[in-house]
Amino acid sequence: MLRITNLKKSFVQPDGQRTPILDVPAFELAAGEQSVLIGPSGCGKTTLLHIIAGIVRVDSGSVKLDNIELTKYSEAARDRIRADKLGYVFQTFNLLPAFSALENVLLGMTFASGRHSGSRARELLVRVGLGHRLSSRPSTLSVGEQQRVAVARALANRPKLLLADEPTANVDPKNQQQVIDLIRNTCREEGVALMIVTHSMEVANQFERVDRLEELNRVVAELRETA
Amino acid sequence: MNIFKIAFRSLQFRLLGTTLTVLSMALGVMMVVSVLSVYGLVSESFRSNSSFGFNLLTGARGGGLQLTLNSVYYLSRPIENIPYEYYLAFQNADVREPQLKNSLAYRALELEQQTAWAELQSQSLPGMVGWNALARGLVDDAWSRRQLETMKLEKAGLFSYYVDYAIPILLGDYFEVPSADRSFRVCATNRDFFDKLVLDIDSDEHFAFEEGGRAFDNNDLNVGYFGAILGAMAAKQSGLKVGDQIQVTHGVPGEGSSHLHEQYFEITGILKTTGTPNDRVVFVNLEGFYLINDHIKPIEDDSMLKGVSEDEENPKPPTDEDDEDIFADGLDDQVSVAPFGDKLSDRDGIELPMRTSDETLSRYALPIEQREITALLIRTRREGDEYGTGAMALQPMLDGGKLESSLNWSSFRPINSQTTAQCVFPVQQVETLFSFFVDPARWVLLGLTILICVVSGLSILVGIYNSMSQRHHEIAVMRALGARRSQVMSIMLAEAILLGVAGGLVGWVAGHGLNAVLGPMVENQTGVPVSFWDFAPPEPVFSGLAPLFGDSSFANYLVKFRVSPELLLIPGLVLLAIVVGVYPAVSAYRTDVAKSLGK
Ligand SMILES: Nc1ncnc2c1ncn2[C@@H]1O[C@H](COP(=O)(O)OP(=O)(O)OP(=O)(O)O)[C@@H](O)[C@H]1O
Ligand SMILES: [Mg+2]
Repeated sequence: MLRITNLKKSFVQPDGQRTPILDVPAFELAAGEQSVLIGPSGCGKTTLLHIIAGIVRVDSGSVKLDNIELTKYSEAARDRIRADKLGYVFQTFNLLPAFSALENVLLGMTFASGRHSGSRARELLVRVGLGHRLSSRPSTLSVGEQQRVAVARALANRPKLLLADEPTANVDPKNQQQVIDLIRNTCREEGVALMIVTHSMEVANQFERVDRLEELNRVVAELRETA
Repeated sequence: MNIFKIAFRSLQFRLLGTTLTVLSMALGVMMVVSVLSVYGLVSESFRSNSSFGFNLLTGARGGGLQLTLNSVYYLSRPIENIPYEYYLAFQNADVREPQLKNSLAYRALELEQQTAWAELQSQSLPGMVGWNALARGLVDDAWSRRQLETMKLEKAGLFSYYVDYAIPILLGDYFEVPSADRSFRVCATNRDFFDKLVLDIDSDEHFAFEEGGRAFDNNDLNVGYFGAILGAMAAKQSGLKVGDQIQVTHGVPGEGSSHLHEQYFEITGILKTTGTPNDRVVFVNLEGFYLINDHIKPIEDDSMLKGVSEDEENPKPPTDEDDEDIFADGLDDQVSVAPFGDKLSDRDGIELPMRTSDETLSRYALPIEQREITALLIRTRREGDEYGTGAMALQPMLDGGKLESSLNWSSFRPINSQTTAQCVFPVQQVETLFSFFVDPARWVLLGLTILICVVSGLSILVGIYNSMSQRHHEIAVMRALGARRSQVMSIMLAEAILLGVAGGLVGWVAGHGLNAVLGPMVENQTGVPVSFWDFAPPEPVFSGLAPLFGDSSFANYLVKFRVSPELLLIPGLVLLAIVVGVYPAVSAYRTDVAKSLGK
């Protein structure tokens, strides 16, 4: 479902120096498979997710999502693929403050090619336990509730893969488990593959598959820091 | 959710900022809409009423424009008047003679004759009938010779040959309609206004009356001297009908000295709509108007007439008995000139009946020396004047003091009377009005419009720009959800457009609301009714762009194309919104998703 080969990514620093961030020879994720990605801060986890989402271009290599070679497509086409095939949950401020919970979910459907369905959006919100907060603005929801809306939104277009970048970093420990369970369970029910980034070993330990980026990545952090 | 709904939600979320932006735009738009429509309507009304049924206008010396505004548009503050005799200078002998006989000068001559008679009689020799008759004949003879010499009784007026008609109007009074909270100018005139005056110098069309109405006669069988005719609008707003009686107000309503005249006028007719300022006028019979106390000018020197009427301090209301020929009793009746006794200006208490005979008028009518008119609407003689040069010849004469010479027949003159007249071409005056006031105002307006558009544009820009830093994160989220660059750009443009449309609509409605509020004031000042639903009239707004397209048929089309400038306002604002929306839109387009997501 997701196959990354010989991915290379470097950033140009403000001083003009090119710093390699990622060099991943191979990474694979099967349909419906759930994996947790861990690694020290700054090792490129977020960058990897951005690349998979088609937000960031690779320098070289191949990223195949659902048999689509992302690197070959234009930005606009990658945007469309992202809308159709991917769900994304960030650390915080996932939701657009101007829109209600329901509208945030509908917004996720707006940019996809399928038909939007209000009932699907409502159903998802009920599933994440927010059936009673459909018209609430994000500012009136707790962080945990906001993350649940974000999960509902990420799943709205029936994606193949859900990317979650530290979804529980700002959630209090009590709700942390709830959010993780919610993500895992809904992904399982919908048959969506999951790639979750976390710093919490407590979370990581729940997963059968744990990927350590510093092992996958041939760019050594120490090397990068000294450069 | 479509792009506009997304944009709308964003605006709704920033309600305060959005409201402020919309309000600041709306204020400007309100100004422009109100000024555009009022200016458009007023100038349109002036333009469409810039041809009249007369080609010369004579009135008191002063501003020609003021005279024209008064007598053509019934606008502006009332102006000075001129002596009534100037009207007679354009009449033939048939009209002049009976009128001149109603003068203080004529009465004075009569008095002289009576005194001479009385003296003769006292000295007459009994039995010498022949001698007495001869002496009496000599007195009469000398008297009529003086009449002819000084008063030129049997002659036509000095300018009567040159004109087809010269119609007197007297302005200054108002007719108030309390129910409609407005007032109409009163124009006192005579029957010629309705019989002779044409609506447009190039047509032969006269005023037409609504069914059942008619013009009043100068001494009407039914209403005597007190006939009134309502313009279409005056009739509509007052709800008055033929046969109703009205009172008019002396002076400008609401100003200190104004008061209602006791005299009633009876409506004999209602004019059909003409689309001219005449629709908003109440016409009354000039003759009856002079019978109202306030319209009497005290004369400078009435000593000659003093002592004549010692027996009658105040004239009595006419009775059947009085309705006899005042000279019937000849020598025995020395008090027959009673109405012109020593209290010339005080005729309070006279209540004139509506229906009177000519004799009554001759007793109570205002002597012509004391009469005034505001203006004469003159149409020069058309016969033998195909090129219309008559007006060219007549105007300098009338403007150059020739009229004043028609005053020397009487030694009675009202106190403070303004006698110097001017004569103008009304069409020329209206052109002046346009070239000095109306057309330059158009440029001022254009400048104002552009300025307000710029300010509106800036407020949109500021409104969106202020939220831009926060927007980058929102835009990045949308992009992460799969929105393309072009889509987030469209959302920003849509926001600008919505702001433009909202500001435009609110301002537009407010502008018309302002018109509705200011309408009565505008109407009082200009005579042009302006209500909520009145739009700026269509104009060739794009004609200025025509030269860019040379001689093409498109250039031609641009010159001819007319549209209400108001209708361009909202499209214009949308265009403007798109222009200023480009900056935030491009900024949205360029948003670095990866970077902005982290924030
Ligand atoms: N646009 C960019 N330009 C230059 N350097 C960048 C850019 N984006 C990320 N980096 C650098 O790349 C490295 C990896 O960043 P990334 O955000 O992927 O790390 P991370 O593993 O997600 O860290 P964390 O656990 O703290 O979130 C960092 O050193 C960061 O400074
Ligand atoms: Mg990260």
